[in-house]
Amino acid sequence: MRRQFKQTIMDLAAADQRIVLVFGDVSVYLFREFKDKYPDRFYNMGICENTLISVAAGLSSQGLIPFVHTITPFITERSFEQIKLDMCYNQFGGNIVSCGASFDYAWDGATHHCYTDLAVLRLLPDIEVTQPGSKRELDALVRDQYDNGKATYFRLSDHPHDVDIPVAEFGRGVVLMDAGSDVTVMTAGPILGNVAEACKELDVNLVYFHTIKPIDRKLISSFRKTRIFVIHDAFGLFEAVCEVPNITASYYGLGDTFYDCYGTLVQIRKKVGLDVESIREFVSRQMKKS
Amino acid sequence: MIPTCRRTREHILDISHSSGHGHIPTCFSIVEILHSVYITIRHDPRNPQWEQRDIFILSKGHAALAHYVVLAQFGYFDIETVYSFGSFMADFGCHANRFKVPAIEASTGSLGHGIGLAVGMALAFKIKKLPREVYVLIGDGESNEGSVWEAIMVAANLKLSNLAVIYDNNMSHSRGLQIHNPAERFEAFGCRVSTVNGHDINALSKELTKNGSTVRVIVAETKKGHGCRTLVDNHYEWHRKSPSDAELQMLKRELDEETVQADNYGLSRR
Repeated sequence: MRRQFKQTIMDLAAADQRIVLVFGDVSVYLFREFKDKYPDRFYNMGICENTLISVAAGLSSQGLIPFVHTITPFITERSFEQIKLDMCYNQFGGNIVSCGASFDYAWDGATHHCYTDLAVLRLLPDIEVTQPGSKRELDALVRDQYDNGKATYFRLSDHPHDVDIPVAEFGRGVVLMDAGSDVTVMTAGPILGNVAEACKELDVNLVYFHTIKPIDRKLISSFRKTRIFVIHDAFGLFEAVCEVPNITASYYGLGDTFYDCYGTLVQIRKKVGLDVESIREFVSRQMKKS
Repeated sequence: MIPTCRRTREHILDISHSSGHGHIPTCFSIVEILHSVYITIRHDPRNPQWEQRDIFILSKGHAALAHYVVLAQFGYFDIETVYSFGSFMADFGCHANRFKVPAIEASTGSLGHGIGLAVGMALAFKIKKLPREVYVLIGDGESNEGSVWEAIMVAANLKLSNLAVIYDNNMSHSRGLQIHNPAERFEAFGCRVSTVNGHDINALSKELTKNGSTVRVIVAETKKGHGCRTLVDNHYEWHRKSPSDAELQMLKRELDEETVQADNYGLSRR
């Protein structure tokens, strides 16, 4: 997905001289073509995430369009107040593009994991929060939203799903399966791969989101007569779903703990219960309770 | 203290007295700095959004009252409007909101943010090849924040010659985490540093107009509460305090004792 990010930026930057990249010493080699082509618009500013956001906000205040990019926990959790005040409160918007998602850096331990970013960022006024699950979604969402003047968060992962969904439309959820079931599974981002595989032979409705804020409340509401299960490898989607009135929803995913077990993304997902078999077992169990 | 700066301080006292708000000692330490900035930078009170203006950001946002009063003196708005300071639905909050007050370029309050924004603005002017300058006033207490030093490192690394950082060395830091030898520290971070009497408008203005090849830091040696003996001697007690009727009169008398009539800075009409 990072390569797609680079390709999308290369395309956009050719036509839009306002684009400036502010990187935190991550993906620098990947973007060497951009750096060579636009040396005045590429800044590997160093490992100083608070300042990356503040500087990006300052660039934005003067009409430029910054893309800030580094690893998820550092640019979101560490820089939360800079995003809140410098970008949102001051309305000096910009694009925040993280890499690493929840457990892409599984082997690096809890310091490099991040699953609160979507949940905390969505609470800020004047921000948009997206979790593209595939390269196509990323490309479409970035092209749609990069110059909207707002703080916009794009959460990248190196493990996209390969589910074929319609071209992503910002702010709109997607119904992937409508079985008329009284059980609806809702999910977001790359974990869709496991969720879709787990549900493919089950008689359930499956709804997918790449935009967490604004959440597609109308779509969620249309499933209010069903029991909704949010299956997600992060926090944020469930809370957004629960804000829709008159629905019954519960969460299946992460616990109140650190996942300090190293290994790989696949291994952590299995430990959490977000592998295909565990998800299928969970959903099947809920269906039997009907 | 020249009469113009005495008037600034008198307004600060009066507004703090009537509103019950205000960080008077920290406001008093930057009065001359603010006047120096606004007689130096390119700006137009009749057109606050003038596209060629220089930028000034008060990163130590809790001294907003001093900023408001000086802006009023420079003609951005009527001083009477500032008497709404801190009241419900007022434009003039205890920390400034850029959407509510002309010439406030960034809403500040949480310390260590304004300087990073200023670095981004200075970089934007470089990228856009605009001859505009950015000035940011930070506090010594504020400089306990790591984000200040991150921003300084980035500014020096980018050689932002269009950025001037004014460091209000009013000894706020002495209450907690002390920053000894700030000039040496900024120099070690790659800045061009000068140290001046922060209550001398002439010296400040001279430094503010100097050009260089990288980011400039002006260490302004100031006193919290400068202008009133009581505030200087008891600035801990007065950190957030507003004066009573009797204290207001006493502080004004002390201002008179510190005021000289000579005013060589073209500020006498303000």
